[in-house]
Parts: sequence; structure tokens; C-alpha cells
Amino acid sequence: MASTYEAAVAGGPVIEAKGLGVKFAVNRRRKRSLREMFIHGKKRDPNAEGDDFWPLRDVSFEVAKGDCVGIVGKNGTGKSTLLKMIAGVLLPDEGKVSVHGKVAPLLELRAGFNDNLTGRENVYLVGSLHGMSEKEIDERFDEIVDFAEIKPKFIDTPIRHYSSGMKVRLGFALISQLEHPIMLVDEVLAVGDKAFKRKSYEAIDRMLANERTMVLVSHNERDLRRFCNRGLYIKNGSLALDADIDTALAAYNEDTRVEIEERKKKDAAKKKRAEDAAAKAETVENAPAAGATEAEAAKADPDKGDEGKGGDGKDGGQAA
Amino acid sequence: MASRTLSVWEHRKVVGLLVRRDLKVKYQQSVLGYAWTMLEPLALTLVYYFVFGLVLQADRGIPEGTPGGYILFLVAGILPWTTFGAILSEAPRAMLTHSKLITTMKVPREIFPMATVGTKFVEYVLTWPVLLIFVFALGGRFSWEGMLLWLPLAVVLTFMFGLGVTLFLSSVNVLLRDVERLTRILTRLLFYGSAILFPASMVLYSDGVPGWAKTLYELNPLMGIFQMHRTVWFSGFEELTPSLLALTSAVVGSILMLIIGYWTFRRLEMSVLKEL
Repeated sequence: MASTYEAAVAGGPVIEAKGLGVKFAVNRRRKRSLREMFIHGKKRDPNAEGDDFWPLRDVSFEVAKGDCVGIVGKNGTGKSTLLKMIAGVLLPDEGKVSVHGKVAPLLELRAGFNDNLTGRENVYLVGSLHGMSEKEIDERFDEIVDFAEIKPKFIDTPIRHYSSGMKVRLGFALISQLEHPIMLVDEVLAVGDKAFKRKSYEAIDRMLANERTMVLVSHNERDLRRFCNRGLYIKNGSLALDADIDTALAAYNEDTRVEIEERKKKDAAKKKRAEDAAAKAETVENAPAAGATEAEAAKADPDKGDEGKGGDGKDGGQAA
Repeated sequence: MASRTLSVWEHRKVVGLLVRRDLKVKYQQSVLGYAWTMLEPLALTLVYYFVFGLVLQADRGIPEGTPGGYILFLVAGILPWTTFGAILSEAPRAMLTHSKLITTMKVPREIFPMATVGTKFVEYVLTWPVLLIFVFALGGRFSWEGMLLWLPLAVVLTFMFGLGVTLFLSSVNVLLRDVERLTRILTRLLFYGSAILFPASMVLYSDGVPGWAKTLYELNPLMGIFQMHRTVWFSGFEELTPSLLALTSAVVGSILMLIIGYWTFRRLEMSVLKEL
């Protein structure tokens, strides 16, 4: 699966995934998974196999330093799950993922914030949790607050009084200051108002210019095209395509188009069936009411679709 | 295992940060702050003194001439128990409350239960001034044996057992929320099973209690641990010193609890991460 991109950059890949797979238990209570863990350990009894759902399976790829990889795919195909495994906050059931270098997870911007602490305290807390030293935070504190557009009088207020936008902006401002070489971004570019969005785009551009690696999950094509040089298209839990971003997006769009068409066809068929059924029901309904007047049959007409109208009218007439 | 321990050690700063945050939040929000740490066990002591000491005369189990008497006996048991009870009540949620951090930050997951226990350790240390006030006011006696043997042993075992329990409960509770309710009942049971309100000797020398129940009672590691907490002030009184069986079960029980807790935690880690 090694792509041509790695060849251009010296040194090994920064992120390396081999045969990655993760399994969730569906259609059963937690109790069983607990019992299973204790009794069977890693060996599962064959009967339980049918209950397993693999959101991702057999995914292998490598990401070289400086790459920006966009992950595209439908909802629920395991994009975020993949990101979580790269971040190391979800352990794969199969395969292995190795990440060389510290990871800045822009997965949940408000993570670690405590509502009862002030903005300042939270910046120091979360910054330290992500491995920044106190001195580093001291140096960047003004910049963070400025970037987050939080008025100085509010920075010493508990953040439970902040608006949700303020919290997210502060989170982004803080995490964008991390100098970790790998960034994992999950749909967080849509933060804040237009002006803030532009600023965050610039911040990400700046980070990328710094030879940093980024993996981005997004449904926003413009974002993906803007930042990424490579795309992974995930389809039904496996890696369908590993190419440049335009190719990946094209494949994704093509599949989406086909799917929409199929759905349209199906909808049309369904509609037709429903109308046919309605027409039949009308016939049956009207049959006993043999003594009904013409007016009654006519009254039922406006409810029907245009196609069934003629037929219904005829049936109704016959019944009457 | 070794690399995991190393990685926990590397993240000790994070434990410190979480402990500091918890304490800050706790004391910032209430006006009386630290005073609550003292008031709660003191109120309890008062109630138990009246009910058990004066009405039910549990103080007859205390040998004559004990420095500090029944009140010191109560205080020296209730203060560490308050800490331990707090560990038990917070243990099931130790992972759940940090679910957001756990699902975004790559740190060894043991850190979160460790931070919970760490916070309680600081709170335990903060109860010491109160205990010392009682010791001085009631004429309690210092002894080298108590200070150098029983105190370190009691503290180490209490928090070793506490960490084991927290590792166990915090991971199991993510998959099985019933644990939280069950723990509440067990805490109550353990309170009476750990001889906090009356000397263990009252049970062990009693004629009404069957022999197997006495053995079971002595096998409860917490009983031995809390006896040690009090032996610090009552060393030399045989009725108040843990028996060999109680001592062994306290030491072995705490080590076992830590091993079981850690093993369970690691075993369930994958499922817990999926569930959070």
C-alpha cells in the first residue's frame, strides 16, 4: 500500500497502520461482553461471532512526514474510529498502528476543560495535560486568549459562564499552539463564526507549512481540497482507495451519485407499489358500499396520486 | 508490563495535575472549604459517641486506662474510614467522569483511577490536624511502635487496597453500571464489618457469634487495616492490636486487591475504551 508520496520524503513513515481492524459487539447486553472478557479472554466462542460488527477491518496505510491525509467516506464507515485508533485512544482488535511522534488530537476541543475553573486555569490545566510546560504556556498565554477572542475581563471567570462558542474557540486556540508533529483533526474546522473560521484556516495552514503531518476527517470538500494532498476513501469499513485527494473525492462522489440514483429508482418503485396498493384498497373499501352515491366516490378522488386517479375513478364507478 | 509502569511514571505529572484540579474545584466552590473535611467526620463521631458509646455502651470493649478512651478510638477510626469510604464512593465513576479526556488524550489509562485515589490521599493528610487536636486534648499517647510501625503500614495498606478497588470498580462499572449501586451497599456493610465503632475484640471474644463468622470477620483485610490505624495510638493494648491472622489477611488482602484490580483493569481496557 506504500504510495509514491513516502518516497519523496526521507525517513520512515510517521503513521503506519497494518491490517487494522476493530470490532464492536452489537445486539447484546454489556453483561455478555464482560463475561466473555473474563471467561474466554481473546478466544471468542464461535456462536458469538455473528453478533460482532466490524466498523473497520483490514485497513493498511502509511503516512509520511509532512503529508496531509484526508479521510472521506459515508457516515458510519469508521472514519472517526480510524482516527481514534491513530490517536491511541481506541485499541484495535486486529492489526497494529504505530505512530512516531507526539500527537495533537483535535478530536474534541473542549476535552479536559472543567466548567468550574476559570479560563486561565483551564488553559494551564489542559495545556499541561497535553505536555506543555508552564513556561511555554506563560509565553503563549496572551496569544491564546487573543486568538480565542476572549475579552480579558472574562478570562478569570469560570468557563461555565462562557458561551459554547467561547469554549470551543479557547480549545482550538490552545491546541493550535501545540507543537506536536502529528495533528489529528475530526471535523473541527467548522468552529466559530466566519471570521474565526478564517483565522483557524490560517492557523492550520501555518502548522502544515511547518512540515507537520495531519490526518483530517471531514465532509467538507473545500476543506479537504484545500489542505490535503492525499485522500483515503473508506467504504464499508475497509480502505477502498488510497490516492491523491481529488481521486479519492471523485470516487466518493461517484459512489454517492450511484447511490442516490439507486435510491431514486427504489423510491419511484416504492411509490408505484404504494399507489397500486392504495388503488386496490380503494376497490375493496368501496365494494361493500354498493349503495354509495357517485358523489362519495368523487370525494375520494383528490387524495389519490395523478397516476392512480383514472383507475380509481373507474373502480369507484364500477363499485357504485 | 514494565514499559507500562514506565509510561505511568512518565505521566506522573498528569496525575498531579488532575489531583490539583480536583482539590481546587472542591474547595473553591464551598465557602467553608477545608472545614467540611473536618466537620463531617466530627459530626459522625458525635452521633456515634452518643448512640454507641453512651446508649449501647460499646465503650466497654475499651480496656481501662486507655489514653484517650472511646472518643479517641472513634476519631482515629472514623477519620481514615471517611477517606476510604470516599474512595469507594468515587471509584465506580473514576473512568466515566473523565470519558472525554480518555477518548482524546493518549495517556496510560491507569492514571485516572490513580488521580482519584491521589486526591483522597491528600484529603486524608488534611484530616491529620484534626486527629492531632483530639490526641492532645484527650491525652493520647505517642509511641515509637505506633509511629514507625503501625502508621506507615496502615497508610500504605489503606491506599494500596483503595487503588486496587478503584482500578477494579472504575473499569467494571463502565461495562456494568449496576456496580455503582452495589458498591454503596457494600460500603455500608464494610463499615460495620471493619470494626470502626467498637473494638474487634468485642466480636472476637463474644459468645454469641459462631466460630466461622469470627474467622470470616478476621479475614476481612479492612478490619485489620483499620485496627492498625488505631493501634498507632493504642500500641501495647493487646485487645486493640490486630491478631496475627488479621495482620496477615490485611497485608495479603491488600496486595491481592491491587493485583486483581490491575489485572481486571488491563483486561477490560479495550472494551472500556469502546464503551466510553
